[in-house]
Parts: sequence; C-alpha cells; structure tokens
Amino acid sequence: MIEIDVHTRDDGIGVVVPRGRLNMVAARQLKEVLADLVGTGTSRIVVDMAETTFLDSSGLGALIGGLKSARQAGGDLRIARPVPAVTTVFELTNLDRVLRARDDVDTAFDD
Amino acid sequence: MTDGRLVLSAPAVPEVLEVVHSMLAQLWARADSWEQRDRSRFELAVIEVLGNVVEHAYAHDAESGRRFDITLVADDERVVASLADNGLPVALDLSGVALPEDELAESGRGLALATAALDDLRYERVEGRNHWTLECRRGSAG
Repeated sequence: MIEIDVHTRDDGIGVVVPRGRLNMVAARQLKEVLADLVGTGTSRIVVDMAETTFLDSSGLGALIGGLKSARQAGGDLRIARPVPAVTTVFELTNLDRVLRARDDVDTAFDD
Repeated sequence: MTDGRLVLSAPAVPEVLEVVHSMLAQLWARADSWEQRDRSRFELAVIEVLGNVVEHAYAHDAESGRRFDITLVADDERVVASLADNGLPVALDLSGVALPEDELAESGRGLALATAALDDLRYERVEGRNHWTLECRRGSAG
C-alpha cells in the first residue's frame, strides 16, 4: 500500500512524498499525481523517497514519465534521499545518471 | 531455519502484488538470517515477474479468469520462487533480455531488472501453463 503526500512550497517547487511500496498499483497513482502537478503549472518537482521502501520498473516508469513532462514544461524532476534498496534499482537500470539522487529535499534544486 | 514453504493461488490482478509483498515479509520472518541486500533483490525480481504476468493477463485475456500459483521456499543457502500461470505462452529469450535503448523509455525494464537481481531465472511452458523459477543464492552479487 502507498500514501502519496503532495505539497507546493513558497518557492513554487512541488514536493511529492510516496510512503510505502512503489509497485505497479502505486505507480499509477504516482503517475497521476505528477501529471496533475505539471498540468497545474508546477513543473519543478522533488520526489522525496526517504519513506519509499520498494521500487520496481513500473515505479521507475512513473518517475521517468514525470521527468519528461516536467522538462517539456520547462522544469525538472529530481529525487532525494532514496533508501539503499531503491538506490540499487536506479543503479541496475543505469538511471542513477538521469535521476541523480540528492541528499536533501530543500536543496534538490540548488544546482 | 529449516523449512519455510509459503504457497498462494490467486487471480492475476494488480492488487494481489500487495499480498505477495506480505508473503515475502512472512518468509523473511522465518528465514531471519538472510541479509537485507539479498531480501531486496529477491523481492524486486518476484514482483517484476509477477507484474509481468499480471500485465499480460490484462493486455491479452482480461476476461478469461487468469490465475497464478506461487510457492516461496527458503533454506540456509538459497531462496526460490516458483510461479505458474494459465495465461498465453510467452515468447521470450531470457538470455537476450536487455534494458531499453532509450534511457527515458517508460517501460521495458522489468525482466532485465529481474535477471540482474537473480542468480537464476528460468521460464518453461508445460501443459498449457507458464512456469517461472526464480533463485537467489545467499550473499552472491546476483
């Protein structure tokens, strides 16, 4: 099961916090959340993965879909604080270069 | 840890993935000497292969009552998942499974991930059923 918290900060950056397992069922929810954010004008998004305990290829697909639409809208999607099991999935798929993990949510857009 | 066999037979629908995550948690509770790294890669592979089964069920025969059986077994050396489903045959060369060329592709990584995470992944079509066998050996790199 998953819970996805979303809030938009004063600087306009959207912070998405998936809590739980990001598998096929949860990926659909995440995809909608990210599409809604970009669709309503929030194209800079940080996905805080500190409480994402599991990630599979469908979860990766949702993140990449969000990344692409954010970039098309002139923004970007960044990930922060993944746990080791989730980091392994980014590494096994060579996506650790495309979605470089940031150590901190607040500063994820500083560079 | 001596014998820890867990069995489930269920419809091939996405919601059942949560049940299998719970089964895995039960398996590790019994096989408690297994390290997190091995647990993670095995769980990833099981969910990827099962996700693949569920996805094909939806794509090709959503109305036909597709089901699957899964058995999880752990001992001190290895952990094995055996998965069987009554869906259509899968045309697959597991030796040639690769990541998509487009690094921003939104799908197509599942079986490549499963292969990378496991020590052994086998597929067979036997008597009208697809059989998948997934194996992790303790402490190996996958």
